[in-house]
Amino acid sequence: MAPITPFNTSEISEKARRDLLLLLEGVRGKKNLVLEKALAGPLNLLVKFSTLQEYGVDRPFFLENDNVDSSQRNIVFLVRGEKAKTVLAVADQIKRLRRNGSIEHEFSILWVPRRTMVSDQLLEEAGVLGEASVSEWPLFFVPLADDVLSLELDDSVTDLYLRKDPTSIYLSAKALMLHQQRHGLFPRIIGKGENAKRLADLLIRMRTEVTAGESSNINGASFLGLTPSSTIDSLIILDREVDFPTVLLTQLTYEGLIDEVFSISANQTEVDSSVVGGAAPQPGQTGSASTTMKRKVMIDPKDSLYGTLGDANFAIVGNLLNKAARRLQSSTERNQLASKTTAELRDFVNKLPGYQAEQASLKLHTSLAEEIIKHTRTDIFTRSLEVQQNIMSGADPTTQHESITELISRDIPLPTILRLLCLECTTNAGMRPKDLEAFKRAIIQAYGPQHLLTLSSLEKMALLHPRGGSGLGATPAAKPGSVTNYTPLRRSLRLWDDEVNESEPNDISYVFSGYAPLSIRIVQSIIQKQTLANLIKPSSHPQAAAQANPLAQGLRIFDDATKYIRGATFDETQTGEEKAVKARSMLNGSHNDAAKTVIVFFLGGVTRAEISALRFIGRKLKEVGGEGRGSKIMICSTGVVKGGSLVGSAIEAERFG
Amino acid sequence: MSKPTANWEKVGDKFYRRIELYRNIFDTDLELENYNVVGAPYSGAVAIYRDEDKIHAYRGTQAAKSSIDVYSCAGTLIRRINWDKGSIKGLGWSEDEKLLVVTEDGTVRCYYDLQGDFVPFTLGHGADEHGVQSCRFWSSGFVALLGNNHLISVSRYDEPRPKLLAIPPPDPVVSWAIIPPAYSLSRSVEVILAIGTTLYVVDATDAEDRDFTAGPFRHISVSPRGEFLAFYTDDGKVWVVSGDWSEKLSEYNSRAKTVPKDMQWCGSNAVVLAWEDEVHLIGPRSVATKFYYDAWVHLLPDVDGLRLLTNDVCEYLQKVPDETEEVFRLGSETPAANLLEASNLLDQKSPKADDLIQLIRPSLAGAVDTCVKAAGHEYNIHWQKSLLKAASFGKSVLDLYSSDDFVDMCETLRVLNAVRFYEIGLPLSYNQFKRLTPEKLISRLTNRHEYLLALRISEYLHLPTDKIHVHWAQQKVRVSTADEASICNLIFRKLHGKPGVSFEEIARTAYDEGRVRLATELLNYEPRAGKQVPLLLGMKEDTIALDKAIESGDTDLIYHVLLHLRKKLPLASFFRVINSRPVATALVESSAWYQDKEVLKDLYYQDDRRLDGSNLLLSEALSATDLPASLDKLKLASKYLQDSKDYAFHRQQLDDAAKLLRMQETFEKDLNSNPGTSSANPSSSVSPGNSSFIGLSANETVFHLLRQSHTKRAQKIISEFRIPEKTAAWLKLRALVSARHWTELEELSKQKKSPIGWEPFFNEVLAAGNTRVASAFVPKCTGLTVAERVEMWMKCGLVVKAGEEAFRAKDRGLLEEVRGRASGSAAVEVERLVGLLPVGRR
Repeated sequence: MAPITPFNTSEISEKARRDLLLLLEGVRGKKNLVLEKALAGPLNLLVKFSTLQEYGVDRPFFLENDNVDSSQRNIVFLVRGEKAKTVLAVADQIKRLRRNGSIEHEFSILWVPRRTMVSDQLLEEAGVLGEASVSEWPLFFVPLADDVLSLELDDSVTDLYLRKDPTSIYLSAKALMLHQQRHGLFPRIIGKGENAKRLADLLIRMRTEVTAGESSNINGASFLGLTPSSTIDSLIILDREVDFPTVLLTQLTYEGLIDEVFSISANQTEVDSSVVGGAAPQPGQTGSASTTMKRKVMIDPKDSLYGTLGDANFAIVGNLLNKAARRLQSSTERNQLASKTTAELRDFVNKLPGYQAEQASLKLHTSLAEEIIKHTRTDIFTRSLEVQQNIMSGADPTTQHESITELISRDIPLPTILRLLCLECTTNAGMRPKDLEAFKRAIIQAYGPQHLLTLSSLEKMALLHPRGGSGLGATPAAKPGSVTNYTPLRRSLRLWDDEVNESEPNDISYVFSGYAPLSIRIVQSIIQKQTLANLIKPSSHPQAAAQANPLAQGLRIFDDATKYIRGATFDETQTGEEKAVKARSMLNGSHNDAAKTVIVFFLGGVTRAEISALRFIGRKLKEVGGEGRGSKIMICSTGVVKGGSLVGSAIEAERFG
Repeated sequence: MSKPTANWEKVGDKFYRRIELYRNIFDTDLELENYNVVGAPYSGAVAIYRDEDKIHAYRGTQAAKSSIDVYSCAGTLIRRINWDKGSIKGLGWSEDEKLLVVTEDGTVRCYYDLQGDFVPFTLGHGADEHGVQSCRFWSSGFVALLGNNHLISVSRYDEPRPKLLAIPPPDPVVSWAIIPPAYSLSRSVEVILAIGTTLYVVDATDAEDRDFTAGPFRHISVSPRGEFLAFYTDDGKVWVVSGDWSEKLSEYNSRAKTVPKDMQWCGSNAVVLAWEDEVHLIGPRSVATKFYYDAWVHLLPDVDGLRLLTNDVCEYLQKVPDETEEVFRLGSETPAANLLEASNLLDQKSPKADDLIQLIRPSLAGAVDTCVKAAGHEYNIHWQKSLLKAASFGKSVLDLYSSDDFVDMCETLRVLNAVRFYEIGLPLSYNQFKRLTPEKLISRLTNRHEYLLALRISEYLHLPTDKIHVHWAQQKVRVSTADEASICNLIFRKLHGKPGVSFEEIARTAYDEGRVRLATELLNYEPRAGKQVPLLLGMKEDTIALDKAIESGDTDLIYHVLLHLRKKLPLASFFRVINSRPVATALVESSAWYQDKEVLKDLYYQDDRRLDGSNLLLSEALSATDLPASLDKLKLASKYLQDSKDYAFHRQQLDDAAKLLRMQETFEKDLNSNPGTSSANPSSSVSPGNSSFIGLSANETVFHLLRQSHTKRAQKIISEFRIPEKTAAWLKLRALVSARHWTELEELSKQKKSPIGWEPFFNEVLAAGNTRVASAFVPKCTGLTVAERVEMWMKCGLVVKAGEEAFRAKDRGLLEEVRGRASGSAAVEVERLVGLLPVGRR
């Protein structure tokens, strides 16, 4: 029996797809599909629109547009049921259709990922529960790449840090629990951050609850399900709150910059068609509203060219593209063809479609890269990057104030400014109250009084706060351990790398051209202790480097570092009955320690740069003789974030007039 | 021992058998002919009720009392449900032995546990007006026919959603039947209606006329898996048609004058007609056989056969399974038959046994399989034993044989024999048991309160026992008269440590029985916090419910409790409840932010959260539609903070915002009423903010005013809001550049000092494309290096100037670089400069 690989992405998407199609099949005949905008991306990733059509979907509508018509008798809603707002929107639309529809509709509601009691209650109050047949589509993780699973909860940042609404924690726990039930308990749960702690507690709690209710649902794996897994090494949970600066920085990997410049959602980015050429719209899009000049481009992690580009620092992307172009050209060169034998020719012709696809991909990425270069050459970009690098390398932040003030005066987009200010606050445990007030005034004068709300929200999220003293009353006085102290961390975790090598990276610092993301350093301090120890404290004797660095023992680095980082630290081991453990390892084949999976869960979102950095570590771990013994890293998150969306969640959109 | 073939009947080339399951079923006084009888699938319970259309002898008031009686197949009364709810128009069972009672007014009662507890729902769709005529049931749903020929289908009972099917013609329906959704082509329920001489097939979307002329069809019956349809015509013929209507398979003439009382399928291979005490069994190819009974006979169809029920006897009619036929048929020479024979001979210690075995040696494995299977199909324990013995004997001769099937069969038979025992009365056939699954069998047993047997079977088959325990405890709670403490003790002692036991369910029962204290005590044993919540709410233990919900971490549950509390409690006490629970407060806030801002306001007021309250007012000010309203709200927001020193800054900003708005309003009035001044510059018409200043930030206002050359007004704002000098300079620069006031910019270049230096001027002007004006600023950038200035000159296209710059600095390298980039006359000039430069020491 082949061992079950945990977190198999294709299996996950296959199951989600099957579940959905089965549900759609349950509604007989043609139907109109009303979906929440936030679900369009994941849906597009999982199911092609043509497949949906095969299952009777006539036209898709967005819930937010409130424009579903009576063209079909069957109407299927596909929405998340956690928020009262969406539930009420569904109820309103049903009522509207019932009022002015000429035909009698059949309504079905598919709640994602679960049917909630609140939704039932609200629908009942609205008087529509009796008319809709309600079911649920248990969509939790959506695979974005082979090693990235996302819950695609777009609101999770706002919910967790601004509104303090723990829904995403619960959903994350549910999603992880489902995997525990399938693949066994995570033998160890370790992590940092208040919310992360809550998630870990929930997982442990759910475990006892599942054990209590175990035998009521009989599936074969259940008795094995709750023993520690033999294929998973550990679960590392990181609260986004622990490391906001990494999000606030401008990402410098290719994928990160695409996200910063064009923004990516569910592996899709929208680019002006003048940039990539107005080719035919991509087939199989859900909700194709691409009549505008924008064109949707699929950022496909499986594309071989993109695979090499995506995680690279943007500085070397030009070179890589060049190389790829030359390689392609040489293999398709006409005069070379003449000298080929027929067998070679046939071989060549067979490869032609591949070449063409590669050619197209090369063209696309070249034009994307050109567009990004245009962006990175602007004065504003370089200025803000300069400020960021100075702050991260530990320069006195007050020296940067002038630059920031000037940028404000030049009326550059607000998110950029806020990112810089928040970066300063989060890395320096706040800002001098006087300076903070001056910046606040400047922002309000420059961007409008509505941003009083924006600033309040940022303070609530602890992104912006005066140093030391109490906040503006609403935020309680800073307790020890409630802020991260970067000064010792810079040294003890070597967060700043002056000798960064972008073309042949030797450390994760390449993703930000100098700064090594704190979050990833924490992960390293758990799974790549030896490398990190040598990095921090290169041993004096070169021969001794191979030997154990005293720092690498136990969790020394982790324990030392987490003292200075805000939020709770936890380290739980989950054990099971010895007999069951044995049974499991017998079933899955003995693995000893090799090739286990480490799951890194980012609560509150992960940035693309962090994904790249983790992949970098993953490659190192896989190397023969590496300390990871070939273990794999699986990245899970509530969603993919970037600085713009982090501060964007606080920005007040309305204005006077 | 009678021969196993004694009850076999040959119909054509197939054998059918009537197995007598139980005797002395009903009281002989019971006039079964006056009753409607329906049996649950998989040999389940039988429900009877008196047919109101038939007259019956008066036996005093007691007997006249109407009731639905539920019996086991062996005639044990399980439950009597007294009935005074109106005329019953449909009575049927679901697969999981729920009894459905449909009354004329369209009310459906779903008795889910054989014990008289029911869940009601109504059909709607005009059922109360037109009245239900009759119903047809399938494993998980039913279709009701109304007086106006409308058809209503219900496809599940946990969440019934009565749906109106397509509307057939209104002529009287002679007979009708349904094809269950699992077996219909459209995967939804289909109804066959005999109307006039033809047949209609009705599904959710249309009613299709099948164009028959041979009607009227008196009976319609659909085989258990929908592969065949049987029709009884007016002239006494039975037609069998394939399920896809493509061909007529057979026609049988019953030659009967009277229309039979009932027509049903026996499994999927024979049709049974029943008159009062006469039964015709029609096999394939229209061959038939007849049986006669002493009393009125009822047909209870099942998946693989048919139960025949009279007062006196309960029989099971089925086609003899292939394996059984193979073993037992007279003169059978199959290996299996020989194996059985050999086993018998072995018992008699006859040496022939070995001869026989050697004879069938090559096919012995198959023979063993056949014997094992045949044993499964056998009801008689004697024959089960001898078949299994034969199999065991055969097995022992074989070198390699997997005994799994054999062992399974032994276990299964033990279970089957136990439940077939007359006191239990579940005469399941082997196939029925396999389809029903052991878990469902256990739940049938618990519904009959056969806990001990259920437990024994569960343990025997390694099945979970939690449901049985819970059911037992619930029953205990219901009926026990002991005091609450001892019940709780008893239950806890028995159930403690058993996995999967839900104390919540038991507690709920206790609560429903009015034993609140017992319920609370039991609930404490429930390990799953989430599970406790609904019951706690029901018990009005609201705060405990809220705490438990928070403990579970499930926001849905917390919301649920909060919604409940919000409705129940006055606002002030609601706030008091959530006040000490930050998660609850956060959830109330986040949901109220979108829906109910008034609640939020009260909340902030009560909690004295001034900043939040003021922010809320600010956001209301933002969404207000007209200016005075916005200003009012701003004023309120500011007032909200007035007592507190901490918020002085915030308050200041709010006041400034109001001030700015007012100023913007006056600007707008002034400038729009006096277009002559505002349109001094034609390019200002491009400005988006020309029409409205309101809503702009202070900087933007200054920017637009400057663009439109309202310098004085701009100055006023700058001083009023103390916009820093540098910012003001930037604003001026940007405004002038965007309005392309080049002359004024040149004018600026003559000034001595700029708070932001001159470089930005150069950059912005150059970016706007005016190299001439940009060049004016180059000499002023004294803070820069020579090389940078040279580059600036070059950017302006003034190569000579660049050369001069380099010359002044006596930088030969730079000068030569300039020369390299120069062309035409400029090149000559630069060359000259190079020449002028003294050749320095290298």
